[in-house]
Amino acid sequence: MTLLRWKRTTREESARSTTFEDLALPLLPALYNVAHWLTRNPTDAEDLVQETMLKALRGFAGFEPDSNFKAWIFRILRNTFLTSRSGLTARYTVSLEEEIHEDGETGAAAVPEGTIDRETPELNLIRLSDRSALHTAMEQLPPPLLEVVLLCDVEEMKYKEIAAILNIPIGTVMSRIARARLHLRRSLSGNPFTKELRA
Amino acid sequence: MSDHLSPAKLNALADGELALDQFASVTEHLHNCSQCTSRALEQSLLKSATMRAGRRYTPADGLLEQMERLVSSQDSSNWTAKDNLESRRPAINPSSRRMAWAGWAVAASLLVSAAGLTVMQLHTRSAQTAATERTALATELGDQHIATLAANLPPQVLSSDRHTVKPWFQGKLPFTFNLPENLPEDTKLEGANLTYVHNRPTAQLLYSIGRHRVSVFVRQRQNGEEQSDVTLTQLAGFRLAGFRTGNLDVTAISDVDPARLTALVLSIEHIQ
Repeated sequence: MTLLRWKRTTREESARSTTFEDLALPLLPALYNVAHWLTRNPTDAEDLVQETMLKALRGFAGFEPDSNFKAWIFRILRNTFLTSRSGLTARYTVSLEEEIHEDGETGAAAVPEGTIDRETPELNLIRLSDRSALHTAMEQLPPPLLEVVLLCDVEEMKYKEIAAILNIPIGTVMSRIARARLHLRRSLSGNPFTKELRA
Repeated sequence: MSDHLSPAKLNALADGELALDQFASVTEHLHNCSQCTSRALEQSLLKSATMRAGRRYTPADGLLEQMERLVSSQDSSNWTAKDNLESRRPAINPSSRRMAWAGWAVAASLLVSAAGLTVMQLHTRSAQTAATERTALATELGDQHIATLAANLPPQVLSSDRHTVKPWFQGKLPFTFNLPENLPEDTKLEGANLTYVHNRPTAQLLYSIGRHRVSVFVRQRQNGEEQSDVTLTQLAGFRLAGFRTGNLDVTAISDVDPARLTALVLSIEHIQ
């Protein structure tokens, strides 16, 4: 009996650790990518990922098996970032305008109809193919907008998942996405490559 | 069109966040609105471009090994669950689960791509159809005008009096229209013909501006016919001008100076 229980316990422990590995390690590239965007530094990004993994591993016992692991571990990453040195710096450099517009605004209300640009899709297509311009445009995004772009467009998460990770209402997620895309379009329209084409 | 799709709806469309009924109404709107279709396409392109550009940083080779070591080196007591985790976890092979997610992701992206392509194709097709119809209508009106000039026959109703010409159409046309009393300088009503355009009865009003002959075609627009008005301004050397009012489409064609043709058209439009 003792031997059998030992065997069972070992198998359970092994299965649990295997499960964590199976769930977490495939997400490592995505975690690192987001971490690098947030910290803007490879060393800080590695530290952030390492700390995230450690916290996730320790908190895995409390993880609800039926819930979304990716959203869960990204939330840990985000919270860890916010309390890190680079995260604190980023939080205090958010422009006042961003904070003002954040409160109570949702979706369409945050972005007036007229703010959509009216340029031709062909021109925008050329512009979007310029990856370095997009990189620059993303780097210029304020941290709260960069977060939603990374989670929504890069990690292809649903609004509900993003809301859970960022601990904000879905309406705010929509508002931030709309403003982030507006920022990107405006940044791209200032791209000299495009200006040259238009000239 | 004043009620264009809001930025929030366009974003939700690009992100696959619309409910089924919302998706249906948005798709219907896109079929009829080239501006919103263009914006939806742009939004979708921006999203996919951001996705590609956003996947920028890859971890160093050593990081994965470091993380594997970290996971395996941790004392198992640190993550002992209160409940039996395996019994609560659905009996799905993790690799199958990954495959399933990958399958759903591929299916979703294919669905979005297919929907986008369909919208674009439908829009392109309807735009091409409308352009073809406009050209065909302009060609037919041009043919009728040239045939009238070539026949050199008197009009079916020969009169410069609008009170004679207008009543002549009673019982011949399923609609009516007004004719202006005061015409621009050097412009005169010569008469009218009953003709058929696209197999529908049409009034062909004949005017002269100086020595130039003008045909003004007045036809009834059918229900749902939105794109059939003539928007060409020139056809085989002839000038075209027109307007739309109520359920009527009015198109004038002549080789006269465009400004004088427009003046005549405006005088007819004013009286409707």
